[in-house]
Amino acid sequence: MITVRNLSHSYSKDGKMAVNDISFEIERGETFGFLGPSGAGKSTTQGVLTGLLKLQKGEVTVAGYDLNKVRNERFNKIGVSFEQSNVYSKLTALENLKYFADLFDVPTRDPHELLALVGLEGREKDRAGSFSKGMKHRLTFARSMINRPELWFLDEPTTGLDPAIAATIKDIIKEEKAKGTTTFLTTHNMYIADELCDRVAFIIDGEIRLIDTPRNLKQRFGQKLIEVEYIADSRPVKETLKTIDDGDRRKLAGIVTSYDIVTMHSKEATLEEIFIQVTGRGLL
Amino acid sequence: MKMLSTYRKEMKIAMRGFYFYIEIFIAVVMLLILLVAIKENPDSKQREYVFYDARPEVVELLFAKYIDEGKIVPAADTEIVMKPASFAVKNRDTGSTVSYSFDSAKTIMARTMREIDVDDGRIKKTIFLLDTEEDVLRLSHSSGQVGAIVSLGDRGTFSYRYILQGYETERLTNLLYVYNARSVDVLEQEMDRQAVRELGSTERLNARESAVPALITFAGSLMGFFIVMSYLFLDKDQGVIRALAVTPATVWMYLLSKTMVIMTTVLISSSIVVIPVMGLKPNYLLFYPFLLATTFAFAAIGLLVASFFDSMSKSFGVLYLLMIAFMLPGFSYFIGSFDPVWLRFFPTYPILYVFKMIMLGKPDVPYVLTASAGFLVGGLAVLAIANEKFKKTLTV
Repeated sequence: MITVRNLSHSYSKDGKMAVNDISFEIERGETFGFLGPSGAGKSTTQGVLTGLLKLQKGEVTVAGYDLNKVRNERFNKIGVSFEQSNVYSKLTALENLKYFADLFDVPTRDPHELLALVGLEGREKDRAGSFSKGMKHRLTFARSMINRPELWFLDEPTTGLDPAIAATIKDIIKEEKAKGTTTFLTTHNMYIADELCDRVAFIIDGEIRLIDTPRNLKQRFGQKLIEVEYIADSRPVKETLKTIDDGDRRKLAGIVTSYDIVTMHSKEATLEEIFIQVTGRGLL
Repeated sequence: MKMLSTYRKEMKIAMRGFYFYIEIFIAVVMLLILLVAIKENPDSKQREYVFYDARPEVVELLFAKYIDEGKIVPAADTEIVMKPASFAVKNRDTGSTVSYSFDSAKTIMARTMREIDVDDGRIKKTIFLLDTEEDVLRLSHSSGQVGAIVSLGDRGTFSYRYILQGYETERLTNLLYVYNARSVDVLEQEMDRQAVRELGSTERLNARESAVPALITFAGSLMGFFIVMSYLFLDKDQGVIRALAVTPATVWMYLLSKTMVIMTTVLISSSIVVIPVMGLKPNYLLFYPFLLATTFAFAAIGLLVASFFDSMSKSFGVLYLLMIAFMLPGFSYFIGSFDPVWLRFFPTYPILYVFKMIMLGKPDVPYVLTASAGFLVGGLAVLAIANEKFKKTLTV
């Protein structure tokens, strides 16, 4: 669905690259996470793929369209949900969706149904300018689905939303995936990526350091750990032990037989920990 | 369909914002000013102080003739108080200067006449007949108005000495020289011999009507130029342009819809002013196409200017300069003697005069149509440049 070959992009003429010679492919129906801290090059890459930024260097095919040959009809297959909500504040929620529905040449979804999906039922006739930040974000998210996109770009889809709404948004993304929608998810939230993505790419300083499935990454870079808390000499002691280390395994057996155990959990390495391990940098 | 939806959406947004209502409100205010505060044929406040250095019977005979012809009507005598004053009067012909000093105030009852425009009956000026040359000098000095001393020569002809303020244009002083160098009869004979070719309509707009072309030019085209920029920057602030950029809609469609909203607003606001003031006099079949073409061109200029800036505040310097430049031809329109050639290159210059031509009701049809087509094509060219510029910058 997306093929990127040697993509580079710069905002200045001093040779400083925002994105430097990156290549990747995304299969149809795949949910692809593009992960990295702020300024890593995520938004620039998404900007080029969505056509908001002009392709400067490289070969990019999106939804079957070569980006070197600009054709607006490709947007019939694409949906984009922006990190910063951008709706017409003087139009109602319904008017916002109806207007955008009119711009597409393909059958569109019922605006009422979309508003209900993101929890905005009953607010159809309210102007978007009167909405809270979270409601505007949901309206922006709903708008990105209006044309039943085959390829869906989501930029920080749950940022700033309360947990219940964030869970609803995640459920919608999963439902769309089940329908075969390809999703390009840009985020710095590793838990969201871990939960939703088939594959993830780690990007930092404009370069992709690694692409793989979350499961493979955990197997490659993560170590199974046991966190154990026990009482020794009337004082609580907390230790983290590796299950693949013989010494740790013997130590764990000794603790279990000799002390009172308070808590004991198995623990997997998180994507965030793997990101730090791979890139040497945090996500914020 | 997309274009229609975009236009409908833009109109909804415009009608829910205050710029639209400001434009309508201004139009209503202008209409009220025109109808209430500006008379169709206002009387002139010009005064002239005259001393006839001739026998009273001759003066009476002269005025009786003018009154018969309807050029002058007598009015009640006016009490005039002259304050003490000192001043000098320079003779333009000889260069000599004579100083005058009046230490005491003086009150006179001046015989008063009103000179009437025979075409429309309005008062052209009020003439005060004074008893002495010194009174003419004193009043002309204190009031800043023209004074005249008319003497009857030996051969029965009048000679004139005018008391001017010194700042009159060369044209006026030359005109006075020519006008009084020969008798009116001789001048009329000379004028009759001239082959006169009429270049424009001899119809005239009254004072109220003559304000209309300027109002619809400045409150229409120029407001459109300003408002289209504010609409665009509002969209930029809300980020909706990025949302539009990822739909099959084109930048061209987006920009065109903006100009259409401005054209609709100007169409409404101009009609509010023009129809009640002008009635059926203008040729509306030419007025509306020309109005829309010029508004479109100015909206396109506004969009082109906006394409160079990120925000309204950053564009303000250029916006202000252009607004001033576009308003300059207004000086030429209202002050006929100010008409430098360079001013004719400003787009508002032809607009003012074409609107005036249309308001007169007998426009030069091919010229108006050519001008309309010119503004339309020019506007399209400017919009095309703005479109190319926006394609690179609108979503960044």
